[in-house]
Amino acid sequence: MKYLIDKIGKINTSVLFICIIFLILELIGHRHGETSIEDILFFPAIFGFLSCIFIFGIAISLRSLFMKDEDYYDE
Amino acid sequence: MMNNFPPGFVMIIGALLIPFLPHIIRQIYMLVLILTSAYTLTLGFGIHTKITLMDFEFILFQSDPLTLPFAIIFHVAAVLNIMYGAHVKLWNQHMAIMSYSGAAIAAVHAGDLFTLFVWWEATAITSVFLIFAGKTKRSYGAAFRYLIVQIGSGMFLLAGAILLMSETGNAEFRNFDINSLYGQLIFVAFGIKAAFPLLNGWLQDAYPEASEIGTVALSVFTTKLAVFCFAKSFAGTDILILIGVIMTFFPMFFAIIENDLRRVLTYCLNSQLGFMIVAIGIGTELAINGAVAHAIVHILYKGLLFMGMGAVLYRTSTCKASELGGLFKYMPITAICTIIGAVSLSAFPLFSGFVTKTLILSALGKEGQVFAYFMLLFSSAGVLIYSGIRVPFFAFFANESKIKSKEAPLNMIIAMFSASILCILIGILPSYFYNILPYQIHYQPYDFSHIVGQIQLLGFSALAFICLWHFKIYPSEINSTILNSDWIYRKMLPGVCLPLLNLVKNLNQKFYKFLEYLFVTVKNIFANTMIRNKVFDREVGQDTLVVVQLFIVILVLIFMWKIYF
Repeated sequence: MKYLIDKIGKINTSVLFICIIFLILELIGHRHGETSIEDILFFPAIFGFLSCIFIFGIAISLRSLFMKDEDYYDE
Repeated sequence: MMNNFPPGFVMIIGALLIPFLPHIIRQIYMLVLILTSAYTLTLGFGIHTKITLMDFEFILFQSDPLTLPFAIIFHVAAVLNIMYGAHVKLWNQHMAIMSYSGAAIAAVHAGDLFTLFVWWEATAITSVFLIFAGKTKRSYGAAFRYLIVQIGSGMFLLAGAILLMSETGNAEFRNFDINSLYGQLIFVAFGIKAAFPLLNGWLQDAYPEASEIGTVALSVFTTKLAVFCFAKSFAGTDILILIGVIMTFFPMFFAIIENDLRRVLTYCLNSQLGFMIVAIGIGTELAINGAVAHAIVHILYKGLLFMGMGAVLYRTSTCKASELGGLFKYMPITAICTIIGAVSLSAFPLFSGFVTKTLILSALGKEGQVFAYFMLLFSSAGVLIYSGIRVPFFAFFANESKIKSKEAPLNMIIAMFSASILCILIGILPSYFYNILPYQIHYQPYDFSHIVGQIQLLGFSALAFICLWHFKIYPSEINSTILNSDWIYRKMLPGVCLPLLNLVKNLNQKFYKFLEYLFVTVKNIFANTMIRNKVFDREVGQDTLVVVQLFIVILVLIFMWKIYF
């Protein structure tokens, strides 16, 4: 535990623990979604993680296309 | 007499006195104006004020279950704005905010399109002074572009209203058919103000250039007025679902690479507007309630985030992620309030965003809109990393403190604290909040599935951010400009049209030169042949000249005869 806090920090460790707790909670109770696909085990967790990686990946690749100098419009 | 004034009207008229009052009295006076305006909301539903001008009946004050929630939140936001801007000694921004809020509130209560048009343009004209108050060269440019776009949207509205009037004989503000021409014109007018895809350039262009208190006020009224208009006139229009999905989707990518944190928030605003537009497109009672509820809480938490960033801007003179960081040490209260705004925006359970987003998502699920549902879920996950974590993280935590500053002024703290309390109260007591919505519903956002699902979604999104940051994949912030749809009229059109204009100008000049050359040549020929008794440089007698002239006349006659017969 101490190793984890030293390695990734207090806040990050607590986020990790909250994630694990709510994964366990899903195993205990019955979670159902608005659509049937959502009923897959740990769907929101997987969906959330992959969505963020995807958004990040696309955004960074868009940098070369849409990112210009700060005074681009002032020239 | 006071009862006959539409809500907001007293704020606009009362704003005229603001320049003549001393600072403290001015603040109290503005709060009294807002309370007086809010008093008219107690009159109940129905048409309260009409005037007839030039045989046309203008409905100035009409209220119904849809206008009430917007009127309430606009008044609350106006009070928060006054508190937030109380440290500013100059009167001009106070006057602008008061008349702008008044115009937006009056617009909500308009019963016909011509009255709406007047207040629609009034919101544009009054709010532009808040952008001018940015007092930079960029803000002046942005203000003019903002004004042109907003006035332009009013022109679409006016054209639609006139067409509607000529076709149906009245211009009542009601549900419109998207398949009619007037419906389409009105749709575009509302769409510009709601920052639809490709019509959104003004939003990201102008809002971050306004003064720190101006951006807070701007974020409240204009776009939510458009949402109200859509809810009133185009509820259940299918195309809105697609437009809303695009709106929630694309601004996310721009928000991640944008460096100016207030601009990040405008992208986020745009994305959240998409949620409301999708819900209006669904059009069921649950969905309309979701849209209205989301508009209300969005005003609060987005206002709170803009207040936090405004306070940072006020104290440090910058809002760029690349220049900020580590401010938590100096501005802890601002940081905590901003985090509450960010947590509400991300829709954590017990905060305001959760009780409205679940409403919209449930409405989508019930109607079987699977595609839209997953896109909004995707956006709900994304909002955490592009705004929920990013804005407070880069302002208050990331890196070591580069700028030293003081905590925000007391009035700013009071405003932020009040907005934070409202965000939490709505999150904790949703049933009271649901009571002010247009339709009576029995909805329970706090059940096992919603809570576990939402925390898993957000927790793992946060984990994704932590991984990217920890493994140094998340790139450092760079001072830059991110191209948006305003590029079309700021760079592309001038880039294409100016060379074309120059070409036409050059061709025109060349044509005139050619005409001049032709004229001189003909003149010389005549001078050489006729006048000086010469034909092609040879001396000739009078009889030869007559023959030559006759020959020319005959040629001309034959030529003309050939042409005309």
